[in-house]
Amino acid sequence: MAARSDVELLEELLVREHALLSAYEAALKRDAIDAELGATLRDHERDHVRALEQSLPGGAARNPRASVPSPKLEAALGGGRESFARFAVDQEGSLVGHYAATVPRIRNARLRGPLGSIMACGAAHVVALRESLGSRYLTY
Amino acid sequence: MASSLTRREALGGAAAALVLASCGGGDPPPPGTARPGSGAALLSSLLAFEHAVIAAYGACEEVVGGRVLLHIRAIRGEERTSASRLAQVITELGGQPPPGKSAAEYARTFPRLRTSEDALRFAQDLEERQVRADLEALAELPDAALRREAANELGNDAYHLAAVRVLQGLPAAEGPFVTGAL
Repeated sequence: MAARSDVELLEELLVREHALLSAYEAALKRDAIDAELGATLRDHERDHVRALEQSLPGGAARNPRASVPSPKLEAALGGGRESFARFAVDQEGSLVGHYAATVPRIRNARLRGPLGSIMACGAAHVVALRESLGSRYLTY
Repeated sequence: MASSLTRREALGGAAAALVLASCGGGDPPPPGTARPGSGAALLSSLLAFEHAVIAAYGACEEVVGGRVLLHIRAIRGEERTSASRLAQVITELGGQPPPGKSAAEYARTFPRLRTSEDALRFAQDLEERQVRADLEALAELPDAALRREAANELGNDAYHLAAVRVLQGLPAAEGPFVTGAL
């Protein structure tokens, strides 16, 4: 299988960041997350989306977005704050894993560090969400 | 020398910089037969600092209790796992993993930790330095398989950094780009 280009890898990350941004926006509208935490996470995701768009040739013009609403997100939103937090922990954790698998394959060395710093922020989001759930397990 | 630092300096970046300089960053490249440019030297720097961090968490364990102690122990265990993994990769590259120093040698470079707050502030600074080193390795390592190792280290250290921030009552993430920006 041919190696995927940096653009393809970045677009896939952008789709997933858009999905998280949409999830936090929806959660805030439907009071499915604490307002302060939700606004912080949403704002971080906006910055991640903006940064990824800027890293793509053509910038936002290429902007790929997921167009089909996720049934899992709808179910999580309908289940209240704890349900949404568990959903978001899964999504953020999965995205951290996706970054860990993807960023090493990016050929442009100048992008790998900054993309890693977005990945590290995703890990912090997982911890913040676990804390909101009152989890004893912040790191493990 | 840690003893000549003010309390504020001793518990912040200056102390961790001392630890880094004396436990990894200032050391000559480790002996071994790894090919120059293989990435073994960079991974050895990460491992040398990892050894220091494990020792530092041991010092932190002496002054914390309750929930914080549980987390510090868990993080230290994960750092040990990371150290074993890095040593394995360095060996596979033909290098000789740095063995680390004695507990007493490390202890001489640490600030005096009197309270849980001191320990967590020290831990936060160490984790921030680890994250920065991981990001540098992710950018500079020569092949994707080694960069994957750095990315895994970064993930672990980012979770640790966020946890020690939360344990201090701080937000898990200071901003959208942890120790960097695009």
